[in-house]
Amino acid sequence: MAQNVYQFIDVKRIDPPKRSHSERTIEFVEIYQPMTNTQVEGQADRCLDCGNPYCEWKCPVHNYIPQWLKLANEGKIIEAAELSHKTNSLPEVCGRVCPQDRLCEGACTLDEGFGAVTIGSIEKYINDKAFEMGWRPDLSAVIKTDRRVAVIGAGPAGLACADVLVRNGVSPVVFDRYPEIGGLLTFGIPPFKLEKEVLSRRRDIFESMGIEFRLNTNVGVDVSFDSLLDEYDAVFLALGTYTPMKGGLVNEDAPGVYEALPFLIGNINNLMGWQTEHPFVSLKDKTVVVLGGGDTAMDCLRTSIRQGATKVSCAYRRDEANMPGSRKEVQNAREEGVEFLFNLQPLGIEVNSEGRVCGVKVVSTELGAPDAKGRRSPEPIAGSEQVLAADAVIIAFGFQPSPPQWLIDMGVELDTKGRVIASEQSPYALQTNQQKIFAGGDMVLGSDLVVTAIAQGRKAAEGMLDYLQV
Amino acid sequence: MALYHHSQARENCGFGLIAHIEGAASHRIVRTAINGLDRMQHRGGISADGKTGDGCGLLMQKPDSFFRAIAEENGWNLAKKYGVGMIFLSQDPVKAAEAKAIINKEIARETLTLVTWRTVPTDSSVLGPLALESMPQIEQVIVNAPHGWGDHDLERRLYMVRRRVEQQLSADPDFYIPSFSSLVTVFKGLMMPADLPRYYTDLADIRMETAICVFHQRFSTNTMPRWPLAQPFRYLAHNGEINTITGNRQWARARQYKFASPLLPDLQDAAPFVGQTGSDSSSLDNQLELLLAGGMDLFRAMRLLVPPAWQGNRVMDDNLKAFYEFNSMHMEPWDGPAGIVMTNGQHVACNLDRNGLRPARFVITRDKLITLASEVGIWDYTPDEVVEKGRVGPGEMLAIDTTTGQIWRSDEIDTDLMARHTYRSWLNDNVQRLVPYEKYETDLIGKRVFDDDTMQVYHKLFNYSYEEIEQVMTVLAKDGQEAVGSMGDDTPMAVLSRKPRNLFDYFRQQFAQVTNPPIDPLRESHVMSLATSIGREHNVFKETAGYARRIQFESPVMMYSDLKQLRQADEKYYKNQVFSLNFDLQQQNLEQATRSLCDKVVSAVRDDNVVLVILTDRRIEQGLIPIPAAMAVGAVQMALVNAQLRCDSNIIIETASARDSHHFAVLIGLGATGIYPFLAYETVEQLVEKGTINLSARQAVLNYRKGINKGLFKIMSKMGISTVASYRCSNLFEAVGINKDVMQLCFADLPSRIGGASFIDFEQDVQQLANIAWLKRKPMNHGGLLKYVHDGEYHAYNPDVVTSLQKAVRSGKYEDYLVYSNHVNQRPVAHLRDLLQLATDTDGVALAEVEAAENLYPRFDSAAMSIGALSPEAHEALAIAMNRLGGRSNSGEGGEDPRRFGTEKNSKIKQVASGRFGVTPHYLVNAEVIQIKVAQGAKPGEGGQLPGEKVTAEIARLRYSVPGVTLISPPPHHDIYSIEDLAQLIFDLKQVNPEALISVKLVSEPGIGTIATGVAKAYADLITVSGYDGGTGASPLTSVKYAGSPWELGLAEVHQALVENGLRDRVRLQVDGGLKTGLDVVKAAILGAESFGFGTGPMVALGCKFLRICHLNNCATGVATQDETLRRDHFTGLPEMVMNYFKFLAREVRELMAELGVTELTQLIGRTDLLNAKASETQKQARLDLTPILQASGVTSDKPLHCVKNNTPFDPGALNQLLLQRCEQMVINKTGGQLSLPIRNTDRSVGAALSGFIARKHGNQGMATDPIRLRFTGTAGQSFGVWNAGGLHLALQGDANDYVGKGMTGGQIAIFPAKGASFAKNGFAIAGNTCLYGATGGRFYAAGQAGERFAVRNSGALAVVEGTGDNCCEYMTGGVVVVLGGTGVNFGAGMTGGFAYLLDEQDDLELRLNPELVEALDVSTPILQEHLRSLLHQHVEETGSDKAQRILSDFNNYLSKFKLVKPKTSDVNTLLGHRARSSAELRVQAM
Ligand SMILES: Cc1cc2nc3c(=O)[nH]c(=O)nc-3n(C[C@H](O)[C@H](O)[C@H](O)COP(=O)(O)O)c2cc1C
Ligand code: SF4
Ligand code: SF4
Ligand code: F3S
Repeated sequence: MAQNVYQFIDVKRIDPPKRSHSERTIEFVEIYQPMTNTQVEGQADRCLDCGNPYCEWKCPVHNYIPQWLKLANEGKIIEAAELSHKTNSLPEVCGRVCPQDRLCEGACTLDEGFGAVTIGSIEKYINDKAFEMGWRPDLSAVIKTDRRVAVIGAGPAGLACADVLVRNGVSPVVFDRYPEIGGLLTFGIPPFKLEKEVLSRRRDIFESMGIEFRLNTNVGVDVSFDSLLDEYDAVFLALGTYTPMKGGLVNEDAPGVYEALPFLIGNINNLMGWQTEHPFVSLKDKTVVVLGGGDTAMDCLRTSIRQGATKVSCAYRRDEANMPGSRKEVQNAREEGVEFLFNLQPLGIEVNSEGRVCGVKVVSTELGAPDAKGRRSPEPIAGSEQVLAADAVIIAFGFQPSPPQWLIDMGVELDTKGRVIASEQSPYALQTNQQKIFAGGDMVLGSDLVVTAIAQGRKAAEGMLDYLQV
Repeated sequence: MALYHHSQARENCGFGLIAHIEGAASHRIVRTAINGLDRMQHRGGISADGKTGDGCGLLMQKPDSFFRAIAEENGWNLAKKYGVGMIFLSQDPVKAAEAKAIINKEIARETLTLVTWRTVPTDSSVLGPLALESMPQIEQVIVNAPHGWGDHDLERRLYMVRRRVEQQLSADPDFYIPSFSSLVTVFKGLMMPADLPRYYTDLADIRMETAICVFHQRFSTNTMPRWPLAQPFRYLAHNGEINTITGNRQWARARQYKFASPLLPDLQDAAPFVGQTGSDSSSLDNQLELLLAGGMDLFRAMRLLVPPAWQGNRVMDDNLKAFYEFNSMHMEPWDGPAGIVMTNGQHVACNLDRNGLRPARFVITRDKLITLASEVGIWDYTPDEVVEKGRVGPGEMLAIDTTTGQIWRSDEIDTDLMARHTYRSWLNDNVQRLVPYEKYETDLIGKRVFDDDTMQVYHKLFNYSYEEIEQVMTVLAKDGQEAVGSMGDDTPMAVLSRKPRNLFDYFRQQFAQVTNPPIDPLRESHVMSLATSIGREHNVFKETAGYARRIQFESPVMMYSDLKQLRQADEKYYKNQVFSLNFDLQQQNLEQATRSLCDKVVSAVRDDNVVLVILTDRRIEQGLIPIPAAMAVGAVQMALVNAQLRCDSNIIIETASARDSHHFAVLIGLGATGIYPFLAYETVEQLVEKGTINLSARQAVLNYRKGINKGLFKIMSKMGISTVASYRCSNLFEAVGINKDVMQLCFADLPSRIGGASFIDFEQDVQQLANIAWLKRKPMNHGGLLKYVHDGEYHAYNPDVVTSLQKAVRSGKYEDYLVYSNHVNQRPVAHLRDLLQLATDTDGVALAEVEAAENLYPRFDSAAMSIGALSPEAHEALAIAMNRLGGRSNSGEGGEDPRRFGTEKNSKIKQVASGRFGVTPHYLVNAEVIQIKVAQGAKPGEGGQLPGEKVTAEIARLRYSVPGVTLISPPPHHDIYSIEDLAQLIFDLKQVNPEALISVKLVSEPGIGTIATGVAKAYADLITVSGYDGGTGASPLTSVKYAGSPWELGLAEVHQALVENGLRDRVRLQVDGGLKTGLDVVKAAILGAESFGFGTGPMVALGCKFLRICHLNNCATGVATQDETLRRDHFTGLPEMVMNYFKFLAREVRELMAELGVTELTQLIGRTDLLNAKASETQKQARLDLTPILQASGVTSDKPLHCVKNNTPFDPGALNQLLLQRCEQMVINKTGGQLSLPIRNTDRSVGAALSGFIARKHGNQGMATDPIRLRFTGTAGQSFGVWNAGGLHLALQGDANDYVGKGMTGGQIAIFPAKGASFAKNGFAIAGNTCLYGATGGRFYAAGQAGERFAVRNSGALAVVEGTGDNCCEYMTGGVVVVLGGTGVNFGAGMTGGFAYLLDEQDDLELRLNPELVEALDVSTPILQEHLRSLLHQHVEETGSDKAQRILSDFNNYLSKFKLVKPKTSDVNTLLGHRARSSAELRVQAM
């Protein structure tokens, strides 16, 4: 195919089209419409195939991006999907949920001045299309060993680990207390970012590869950890992080104040008809204030919109440039009607006479003088206090690991924040101080991204393969 | 133990002969020869002592009258036939006596009678200290032959005497026999030519008579002189370098057993016949004397050794081709620049290499003397004495038989040779030419043999990657060419890598620089050939029909059909046997398997009559691993040579491992006859089936091979080698990182200077690959060698390095810089210098005591990066930054806009490269430093490339080229084919700009120390040593990956060589290639550098993100593009960013110096005590031994170890100074004027100083309306009218040597013979080679013939000449050339602009044209006819040409014989109207 070397100038970056506002604000479906193959080819052709592919360098799983973009441009969907699976166990998922503007696309050479290549959308497209065309990973060449590994947690970390294990002949058995695989992919991330059918398809794919899932099984309750240690050659811990970070606010425990994850999980359960410990909370016709600036906050904001809240605002203590949430998420939220209030630090929850939340007391902030390392912190401006009216407040300050007691009893080393201590640089990557026990994902990194969890899962699998001498 | 050895020597020089055609001996001939040598003083070298010459000498007939006279004086009985031996003896009397005794014994053994030993009278007071120190005791031994012996009987036995004596005295380094003959005698030594008769007083004796004198003056690239290496040798004197010498020597060893002559029944007693050490010329002499001793006549012997380019020659008689083809079956060419003069006492002859790379001009005078030399006019005959003036051209030979008085011209010699036997019918009857793949009919071609699963195993086992298949192989198969990429190789050398690398990656291609030229494979491929033959070699002393039995094919890269036909060949003559390279590691290790293979092969060839040895790794099997193909070929080759069986066998290798052209070159260079790359072909077919390649499988495979063939041409041409037969067994590679155990068994003839990987390491690599290969689930290697891939090969310019440097230069914060420098300084070992760390036990000093940063900036250059490769904005930002700092920026090879001169945008370093783009006098006088680009690290031995997309109108204007046309510079400078040529170019540049320092840029390679010594003796002021890993804007990928070696080796070797030759204190030594941090600078300084070049680093500082798409013109950062949108909207580089980078560097250097306790940078030089070995990170690294580097750099001397004085040429350029003095005011006042003066061959570069002065005052054309007219009479030395500026008109009555009008930009040059000169009637040589090279304007008229490569790279000059040699108008991009005589062959190669009028009287122009880019048309339109007529009128006006006058008188009849030659892409109707002209020139013409 004759390549237009100036494609990146001639053709602008074009994201896949979004559904209309009317649809988006009431439906819990992915907001992006699928790309057409001509769109994919035109956008993929913009890639410069850089000598230093900054995209790949920045991507936590180091995808072979320029190569699968080239295959996408040439219409070789199956080959592109196969290549994307060499580095990523859940490429169609990452294409949907990665904060590409901070990772691959933010690092793309073209991001400065030309508009980055739409890497994430194309990653999603090639894999969705390949699955649609009937492609599935082919493990016929794999020679099975007699080794079996227990994976606790069917989130992205656990799934990735199982993927690499099974491709190398080791039989993984994945335990999860929830009724579906995916961890936060299924139960935390809203469907407008990641439709749940994607994960059910994933379960089919993984099962066809030889991964065994034991769902609705709470380790430490339904099955003892000790028995897993005895039964399996190694164990991978991918339990994630579930202890919400408190804001330390007055009246934080008042009715009408919700924690982000239970709210989101409840919403998904309601949509999917699943039963977990988190009840559904409806914010229809309410004035909602979400506290926090990460992607979880975005999800809460946009979920509230779709539930029919009257007014939805985000209060964040720093400016927009310093928000951890990805740019596109903020943009999507704005398009759907969210109001953003920057440089506001919450002081406490205001309650009405009945003890329910009726507002959030905030104070304006400004950046202070630089410290010894040149960093500037937000400092309150005296006399700038105000109250934001709210029927519901969602606390979205992030999460910390919630290591179960049995883990502590096992003597697995944790840091002061409860994260499992395990390093990628160890002789056996991500091995804990307990020889047979490996760990990865949010419970090692702290609350992080899907793709970093995948990266750790894959790395841990390699560590285990080395440990098991496979 | 160190890197540089005195035994390494390259040499080039002045040579010549003078003879009385009818054999009348006289002392005058001796005198004249000596005088001629003295007049070529400038072509010889002078040692550091200023008095010791590199060597000169005479080879003459045995001066019979002289010896008979002194015999009578001394009472000796001289027989009718007697021989005289010239003997160099040790000064040690014991050794001398021992040697004499041995000689006496061997004389008696041959029944010869010793007459006497005679001490040769000498006067050593004329010698320099160095010559005196190495002076031998010189004696003559005189022997009588038995009565009745003929001259040649005696000669043959004297040959045997000498060989036996030499064998017995091989241990005495001082013993040497310059000559021992009944026919010839040699006088030579390390004196200046004028001192020859003062040292050898016999030469001043008027009784010393000869009819023949061959003479030579040497320019050696080292100054540890040795008397034996002075020339002439026993039969010949050679000017040039034999590029093929390593192959020639190995083949001489291999075929030693084949030589037999009934005239010398004991010939094998004289073995080994060819010297394996010493100079290439001495080995050539050995070979020639063997052939002559065995009874071969001189003509055939020389044509056998140095044949013309017959394969691609369309004008050569078919029977002559048959002669050459037959002889090529039994000896490969000795190839390289060669002007050879020789005599056997009866015949005297001159022979030139196939490409005409040396000058040879002759004059015959009425007194029956013929003088032939490197230059014309070396003695003072008058015009009326001259009978003929001519030259010897490419592949030509001229001989005189002084017994008959016959002059043998080249065509007469050829006619004699081809008529000796019915060569054509011999070939027709006995040569089997394989049916080419294109014509071979079979269903199997295009059918895949391996399924995808099998391919996967092969690909993993032989370490293929997706990247390589996609970026290298797919391009070869689609385009029939190698892929082009950008920037340098920033990955570790194979031995330093943590990844398993192919064995081929350990081989670095060698290349020609300075002492010999690479060939231009694009424009001069007519001298090249890949033709390959199979079959036994035979004894060259016999010629029979049966010796023609051969299988011939067109390329060593074999197709399926080729191998199949070979296997089916007649077993009687071509019995084949297959040997598998796959072995079981459980049963034997790699070394044992290799030895076992060799034993089997030797046994099969010796005992089973096998001719065709087929080595194969095809049958792969789990549990077996392959011997690497290169190991197998190298070991088998050596085993067969040692067993004296190689010439009865051929090595075919069927291997999965060969896929890019480097792989094929290594296998051929190690000895493979043919290569069948089955997996490469299967891979191409797989790509076709997958739809990646939209061609038929057959076409794709053909394209692939075509691309490999082009790559082989490129690699061979890089070393100046024309034929694959000479490249085979040449071993022209450096092994970097291979240990002694492997070298001794497999690669004994290659340099490997630092040890490295052993058999066990290679075993482990292959085992590791095998483990992955047979594990089906394991993926194929993704890649990462060409571009960065996470977890792939380490890249020195990886994203962390690039982004951190860019952050730092934008913030200006040193702590940001330290993040960057830590990424670099603490990287995993990637370069040799990473294995060395700075000492920590030093007493530091306060930072304030270290010399200021301002003192360091002048040591920092931004490296040469052409405008064209870079955007104008980036190019200017670099210049501004360096100028503000006090460093120097380099223009690169693309010229520079004159509007920048005199501003802070001016590049202080102006580069002069082979394309001569933009090189005008104005450009040159605006330089503080002028850099001659001999080689570039990313692609040594090749020219720079600028893709057509980047050649905008603006760039084309700067380069005097054509917009949109890809610019690929010639690999050689066409005025540097030899070290003395470089000396001439340096002299030219110093004449045009006396204030500039002259720099020569070289690339690291074994032997660079010797080359650098020659460069220093050529009076260069700076030498840049570039590492292999330097950046580039565009280059074939294999050129980037495989040529050149690390600068750590090259710098240390150069430093050592310069110090030991007493030259270091007059040369500023610079290094470039991958330099990034202050630590790099400090390490380089310790190893010998005092100046540092940075290319990629400052580019990254300006915003380059290492996208490696510079060649595509779409650099998204606007740094390396000519696209206006990208430059305007996306280039964000500021000079301040580059300045920040260099400020950071200087600060880091100062901090490191403070820690080391060093206050000035030059105090670091040679301080290898400040470097400690760092702990190795891998087993291969642990086996590396860097002590040769440290010992070389640590060499000590009484003189300073850095540059403290200028390197001023011996020649003051007196005529140029006189012209300046007499014309200065004419220039200043722009009055113009006239002058008339005599001129001699020693007056070189005449006009250059005046042109430079004009350009400095008024630009290139400022004087055009008020010209200075200079008239000369005599013979002009080299470079007459070099860089002639507008307003300077030179008229020469007489003739001129090489490079007339080189770089001319305006004015006029006219050359014509004296009125009434009789020789002028029939066409004669009036000017030498490479005239108008790089000319950009002006007018040139010559009423005679010019030599080779007339108007090469002409981009604007108008020329009328009456004949030329080969390669006329090569790579011409503008101007008009009229040729009124013969044009030689290959006219118009690479010509993209301008046009020519050719008088085609023989009507054979079609055979002489290079048809690729040009076409020949009739001169049909009136405007063109009138234009031609006007040019002829001007020619008559300026030169009085009889020929032009005749044509004008009968113009209409002549018109039909004229052809217009123009580029195919230009429109004949707009040729005249759209020629580029300067405004000044137009004004002049209007007046
Ligand atoms: C874009 C580019 C263009 C170059 N052009 C030239 C050139 O015209 N002449 C030359 O001798 N070297 C040229 N070089 C090579 C540099 O002069 C220098 O040898 C090399 O870049 C130094 O190594 P470094 O890039 O690792 O610093 C070029 C290099 C680059 C990156
Ligand atoms: S995994 Fe995420 S960061 Fe990596 S390429 Fe895909 S979208 Fe980008
Ligand atoms: S950084 Fe952007 S342009 Fe470069 S290879 Fe990656 S996707 Fe392509
Ligand atoms: S490598 Fe070349 S393409 Fe541009 S970013 Fe650098 S100049």
